Amino acid sequence: MSEKRTADAIIVGGGVHGAAAAYYLAKAGVKDVVLFEKEYLSSGGSGRSAAGLRHHFGTEVNCRLSQYNIECFPTLEQDLGGELKLEFTQWGYLWVAYSQESLTQLEKNVTLQKSLGIPSEMLTTAEMKKRWPYFNVDGMLGGAFCGKDGHINPQTLVMAYGRAAEKLGARVKTYTPVEKLLASDNKIKGVVVNGEEWSAPRVLLTAGPWSTPLAKTVGLDIPVTPERHNLLVTEPIEPFECPMTLCLDDGAYFKQVPNGSFFFGRDDQDEPRVLESGNSAKFLEGVTESVLKRMPALKGVRVVHQWSGPYDVTPDHQAVIDWTPIEGLWLNCGWSGHGLQFGPSGGRLAKEMFFGEKTFVDIHNFRLARFAENDLFMEPAFI
Amino acid sequence: MYLSHISEEQKVIDVDLISAHPVLDYSHGAKVSFSFDGKSMEGFEGEPIAMALHANGVRVYRSTPEMRRPRGFFCAIGKCSSCFMVVDGVPNVRTCVTPLKKNMKVETQEGRGTIKLDGVA
Repeated sequence: MSEKRTADAIIVGGGVHGAAAAYYLAKAGVKDVVLFEKEYLSSGGSGRSAAGLRHHFGTEVNCRLSQYNIECFPTLEQDLGGELKLEFTQWGYLWVAYSQESLTQLEKNVTLQKSLGIPSEMLTTAEMKKRWPYFNVDGMLGGAFCGKDGHINPQTLVMAYGRAAEKLGARVKTYTPVEKLLASDNKIKGVVVNGEEWSAPRVLLTAGPWSTPLAKTVGLDIPVTPERHNLLVTEPIEPFECPMTLCLDDGAYFKQVPNGSFFFGRDDQDEPRVLESGNSAKFLEGVTESVLKRMPALKGVRVVHQWSGPYDVTPDHQAVIDWTPIEGLWLNCGWSGHGLQFGPSGGRLAKEMFFGEKTFVDIHNFRLARFAENDLFMEPAFI
Repeated sequence: MYLSHISEEQKVIDVDLISAHPVLDYSHGAKVSFSFDGKSMEGFEGEPIAMALHANGVRVYRSTPEMRRPRGFFCAIGKCSSCFMVVDGVPNVRTCVTPLKKNMKVETQEGRGTIKLDGVA
């Protein structure tokens, strides 16, 4: 018997938002959820990310969603079945500032975070030096720290959501690219896969930067564009107390992950705005210079390899989470580089929107129409 | 302890040092002394540290981070991570491709290796 090509909801894109949505929908009793992923779960931006989990945002909605995310992570491994190790740690996040402008921004962010009950604090360079004597604080003006922030394994996170969704009855179809969306009379009808039509009254697009060409197949323009970002990983060394350390001034960051390796990343606006991955010696040179300036003890630790992945960037570096003008088609994409950690929130919102419930956080700011209305709301804390 | 199943005779078996390495250029320089876990040993300056250790009957260079299993000489071309040791305080040194120097302090590496953190007393 051939497989049933109908569903209650179709999800396009098997990154963290697609997999989490499948899980939340299946858990809420939606009987027939189908998730299509063109390669393997986490193969796009999710699995290639630095996988940081933080409260440090500069807009209220992101701070509120981050509180839910970080409430979920400590027990998520067990909640999703416990088969996959999620490598969750809370080793903290430290944002350092070299310019008055960056310091002022960090202070504003921390003031907002504190008003929402987030345990962030500003630290002087003397306080930083006392706590982490191996940091070189020369030229720094101060930093913002939150000890509840952390890390998770981005690949196992997405796969654990996918497996948990399957156990609840969802169909997760990997290496199955969606060719196009189908709509008529301004209503979504389904998708085309391998030349065959799959029908569903509701379709969720969670394909990161690949969402843009897919939306275009039903005549919908969304301002989500790819931007290539790079990361490298070092050989492992014994873990020591070292928070993820980021700098708004040069866009560089570093952190140690549970196996002892360090990740280094750095924003480079000259990188090609493409979906394809690639790498350059320029990244390697630039990022090591930035990181070693802050953490000279890492000199001599060898680099194992580097990789890249595409951010899905919007004009205000904020996600798009909204129903579209095409009835039954809704979006969760455009996270602009901080989307991995919002998997729990994204999944929960997908479920609430599916059932027409009031969302647990007001997501009016994330609406698609804001671009046409020129009502952008910039997220200041991004790299 | 790791080598309890290997006889003392096997452990001290004489080895003929090779004079040509498949990928490295090196020469046997002057005979120099170095230490392995505090024990004084002799080797030739410029030969790979691992070669000097092998000639001295040392077969275990490190233990793995999680299972604490013994690791020693394996790929011999600086690729496989099996021969990582702490040399003059620096962890993760590829002893199979790092030349021996006079008075080097070579130590068995436990786990991942600990880097020296500047500014820590």
